Amino acid sequence: MADKASIALTVNGKEYRAEVEPRLSLVDFLRHGLGLTGTHVGCEHGVCGACTVLLNGETVRSCLLFAVQADGMKVQTIESLATAQGLHPLQRAFHENHGLQCGFCTPGMILAALELLRRNPSPTEEEIRACISGNLCMCTGYVNIVRSVQAAAKSGAVGGDRQP
Amino acid sequence: MSATGGKWVGQAVPRTEDPALLVSRGGFIDDISLPGMAHAAYLRSPHAHARIVSIDTQKALAHPGVYAVVTGEDVARWTRPQKGRVPLHFSPKVYALAFEKVRFVGEPVVAVAAVDRATAEDAVDLIEVEYEPLPAIVNPEQAMKPGAPTVFEELENNTLWHGTFPYGDVEGAFANADRVIEERITIHRYLSTPLETFGVIAQHDPATDTLTIWGHTQQPAQDRHALAASLGIPPSQIRLIVPPMGGAFGNKVRPLFLIILALLARAAGRPVKWIEDRRENLLALGHSADGIMDVSAAVKSDGTILGMKFRNIENEGAGIDFAGRHNLLMLSNIVNCYRVPAVSYDGYSVVTNCCPVVANRGIGKPFMCFSVERMVDIIASELHLDRLEVRRRNFIQPEEFPYDTPSGQTYDSGDYPELLRKALDLIGYEDFRGEQAEARKKGRLLGFGVAVGVEPGGSNLSYGMLISGPTQLLSGQGEAARIRMETDGTATVYTGSLEAGQGHATSLAQIVADELGLRVNQVRVPTTFDTASHPSVLTSGVYSNKFNGHDTAAAIGAAKKVREKLLQRAASQLEANVQDLELKDGTITVRGTPDKALTVAQVATRAYWSLADPQPDGEPGLEAVYYYSNPRARKPDEKNRVRVQLGFASAAHVALVEVDPETFEIKLKRYGVVHDCGRQINPAIVEGQVHGAAAHGIAAALLEEFVYDEGGQLLTTSFMDYLKPTAADLPTIEGDHLETPSPFTPLGTKGIGEGGAVIAPAAIAGAVEDALAPLGIRITGLPITPTRLWEVVSSKGKRYGSKKG
Amino acid sequence: MKPAPFTYFAPRTLDDALSLLEEHNGEAKVLAGGQSLVPLMNFRLMRPGYLVDINGLKELSQLKVAGGRLALGALTRQVEVERSAEVARSLPILTEAIALVAHPAIRNRGTVGGSLVHADPSAEIPVVATALEAELELKSKKGGRSVKLEDFYLGYLTTDIAPDELLLGFSLALPPAGAGWSFSEYARRHGDFAIVAVAALLAFDKAGKTNYARVALGGVGPAPTRSPEAEELLMGKEPSDALFRQAAKAGAGAIDPENDIHASASYRRQLAEVYVRRALEVARGRIRRASSNG
Repeated sequence: MADKASIALTVNGKEYRAEVEPRLSLVDFLRHGLGLTGTHVGCEHGVCGACTVLLNGETVRSCLLFAVQADGMKVQTIESLATAQGLHPLQRAFHENHGLQCGFCTPGMILAALELLRRNPSPTEEEIRACISGNLCMCTGYVNIVRSVQAAAKSGAVGGDRQP
Repeated sequence: MSATGGKWVGQAVPRTEDPALLVSRGGFIDDISLPGMAHAAYLRSPHAHARIVSIDTQKALAHPGVYAVVTGEDVARWTRPQKGRVPLHFSPKVYALAFEKVRFVGEPVVAVAAVDRATAEDAVDLIEVEYEPLPAIVNPEQAMKPGAPTVFEELENNTLWHGTFPYGDVEGAFANADRVIEERITIHRYLSTPLETFGVIAQHDPATDTLTIWGHTQQPAQDRHALAASLGIPPSQIRLIVPPMGGAFGNKVRPLFLIILALLARAAGRPVKWIEDRRENLLALGHSADGIMDVSAAVKSDGTILGMKFRNIENEGAGIDFAGRHNLLMLSNIVNCYRVPAVSYDGYSVVTNCCPVVANRGIGKPFMCFSVERMVDIIASELHLDRLEVRRRNFIQPEEFPYDTPSGQTYDSGDYPELLRKALDLIGYEDFRGEQAEARKKGRLLGFGVAVGVEPGGSNLSYGMLISGPTQLLSGQGEAARIRMETDGTATVYTGSLEAGQGHATSLAQIVADELGLRVNQVRVPTTFDTASHPSVLTSGVYSNKFNGHDTAAAIGAAKKVREKLLQRAASQLEANVQDLELKDGTITVRGTPDKALTVAQVATRAYWSLADPQPDGEPGLEAVYYYSNPRARKPDEKNRVRVQLGFASAAHVALVEVDPETFEIKLKRYGVVHDCGRQINPAIVEGQVHGAAAHGIAAALLEEFVYDEGGQLLTTSFMDYLKPTAADLPTIEGDHLETPSPFTPLGTKGIGEGGAVIAPAAIAGAVEDALAPLGIRITGLPITPTRLWEVVSSKGKRYGSKKG
Repeated sequence: MKPAPFTYFAPRTLDDALSLLEEHNGEAKVLAGGQSLVPLMNFRLMRPGYLVDINGLKELSQLKVAGGRLALGALTRQVEVERSAEVARSLPILTEAIALVAHPAIRNRGTVGGSLVHADPSAEIPVVATALEAELELKSKKGGRSVKLEDFYLGYLTTDIAPDELLLGFSLALPPAGAGWSFSEYARRHGDFAIVAVAALLAFDKAGKTNYARVALGGVGPAPTRSPEAEELLMGKEPSDALFRQAAKAGAGAIDPENDIHASASYRRQLAEVYVRRALEVARGRIRRASSNG
């Protein structure tokens, strides 16, 4: 077994230190090391998008990153979106537009949509579909997911905020 | 106020499941952790067919961090052989791990429990297995021939089951026909693949020899019994907990994994968790069956269908668990929406060295619907009639319901002509025809496809008697519910149902809220099933759209009992007559005397606290259990007629495609569904199911395919090769609906959920065929891919699909 | 699907990275974006004993137009190229191609160098690089060398890179001013590897005759390939529809693709012919548009 490495990183605004085996993936570290089980594992080869997190503000596949690679970085997971005040506008839009059924793809889907709306606050349907095409959903046929993102865009409550 | 006049049923209430899922406290199986928990991995067979000569686990056992290693020999010592869900007349010695032989690539051979998954996989790499490869067979038709490799020694010609079911005067129909039209139609292997893979955690308590299993299943009572029977312990010594699942679609019925994990937990002396990875999932969890259907239709020259004959071969893969299930379920939609008085079904369930099948969304019915709808289009083509006209001519008409089909189904209600009319309107059919004509002049290939189908729902498990005879213990369909009114005036509902994304908790909350005069957020429906707290019957679970009509009936039954107790107590406390009471928004008032009122919470509190009070219904507390059995779920009669499914939603699907005349790329431009599932409990949830099911059917027709080579190696073992549709690959699914309530269910609802998966492939095939009409190519197989279209076109072929047998 | 164990290094300097590659000669793999490597490791199809993470070598991430070439550091993220106004201006075919690479989350981590070295014949960046006469800069402890891309690709997923070498960067030859371009591909789904991909660039002289033609194909052989058959037919002639059909046919006739589960060899040839022709038409259209604006 390879030696463990020390890492220090910020997750959802909180600093963590840990000793990790190099082959431990970032998603496994988040889920089992830190107990942040909102990020999901769906394929472990980068296709399904269930493991999407924000790394230094950008969406990445956390199943294709080793935890050691996140040393010194800022990670944001789905858990950072809702606050004590309530759901994030995107989460609310998904709730109001029946944008989730089993909910397993939802965290990744929402982070992908968040990245889109931050760059492009008024996307067309085609742009939305292209952007979330890296996130597989097996339940919804995507119709209500697109509607949810459109509703969130229309509300104007998302986008432009570059805060972590 | 009763449920039928209620205010929640019929509303698109935002789901009660959502908040937990959105803030990511969904509680999926891999979110659960137990102290000291180990993790499992499997050594899986690299061969499609081989004898196991030896297994050396020494190095694995000695590897640091490994707690237990279990082989097929261990399993054979510790458990009884598996039995199929539909008991067969032969019992091969099949265990949860491969025993003496491996029969498909990916079959679990050795199970390892270690400190973490990575270490377990390292240990798997250290296991040495010696195999003696045997010839493999993957084609079911070839597997039936003498001389084919035998997958199970006990099974001659690899035929698990063969049955013939003639219904009505089939010979007469064919004698009176103006034409007999024949075709061979095929379907491939695919799978719904829930995004969350299969998971199990097992914990064994040696002191009491009890097991606690957190795990996936869609039939908790049956799986618990299978586990108990296998281990030789009473079911009451097993507690089964089913967390909400990230999708199921019929795939998550695999008691063998519950067995393996139970054995690992016992051997390791600690809890063990196994989360399936995607490669294992695609390789070996289960596939929908591929099949061959030889169809003959006896028709009059005006397109009236007098009778149909089906000879069907289903490829079960290397498993016995689902023997004959695809075949029998096809009896439920064998005449689809049509008045076909005579029909015969000759079915084979054949084993091969492919992955064992699982009940994928629709199980069998997609293939039957595809076969019938293709035949209708082919009949129209052969007789030079309009395919819409042939459908209209043969539709069962609205006034004919309830309608008994030759195979014994009772179609409850429907209006197929109106479904079709609305679907054509939705998609702009008339305008499309003009557009298509203009486009053809310019060499563009536009196509329109239509499929109208019944969506049978609610399995009557007596259908298994068609295979195993009248002494089969499992029969009928039903569900159990327990409702407890809490002292705060809220209600908690426990049923044998499970959550896999269909919004059952919200739907049940709406129903019970109506019945008990509560708000939806005052009805709690736990999304984790637990045998310790949830009642169940052997038919319990989530499968075949049984929710509408069974789970609902059970919940209503329990709610009515609670309501009665509630009102009796209130009447007693208010000194009024029960008939004069009104129950609304958590308050009970006496009609005509506004100052006389009690809250539900007040009544409930006294029910539990004040035991010295008079007990009008004989017992304190405010709780009721109700077991529902569908009275229409009878056993097969002497003519083998049986209601395989108990409810019949229906839908018309329409598709507009454009096929590139040079590359044969298929662009799905528009897709529409007009559905009828009777009364809708929650229209948003219904619509979501319609979208999702249609997406499964469309993807099955155009993208998804499990490909085996001749040696039985699966070539599509990752999401890079097994193609799921993305948001950019599907259009917005447009929709409309009708409601023809079921006369047989308490609310008039019908099962929705399999729907589009059953009907969409036929609509897609019809659309591509219509687009290719200038080339005269008939589509008789799936999936439809540009490369194969090219092969047909470039060889000037006229048929897309397998050759006639 | 967890990878086999490995020892991990994150060198801070190029020299340290090269030392590590030399020391573990053949046993070490370079980790850049990881979008191709890590899946293979997760499947245990690759089990490097040592992983040299070069993501800390910031000097390998650069983007510069100079001397008629676009120079890209190996570690430049695909998303950076996708969003670069300079690339959109000087080499729009690359912008068009990069947008087809997988999905945003992949492009956020994936590097242009990584794509080139991984050498998947269906990948978009290698096809563009093939069309534009890419020149690669490799370095090891023994020294540096330049390699032309056509000499770099040796076979399916096989390149000339030595186990102790690192790709520092590469440069692409910019087409002449006013050249038209097209990158298109047939894939089963949005974002998939191409079944067949085509990069085409055209420029005309004042007489309207083609004086610059580049046609490169991906997915039709073990490595992406130029199509000299198509290019030679196009050069010196007017870019007519008939000529494009001829050139496409010639290009398709010269390739020898494989059969696989997604496409037969015959179908790939058909796709190559159709997509080359269509790409040339689009490229021509873009020249005409530019000249009508100019």
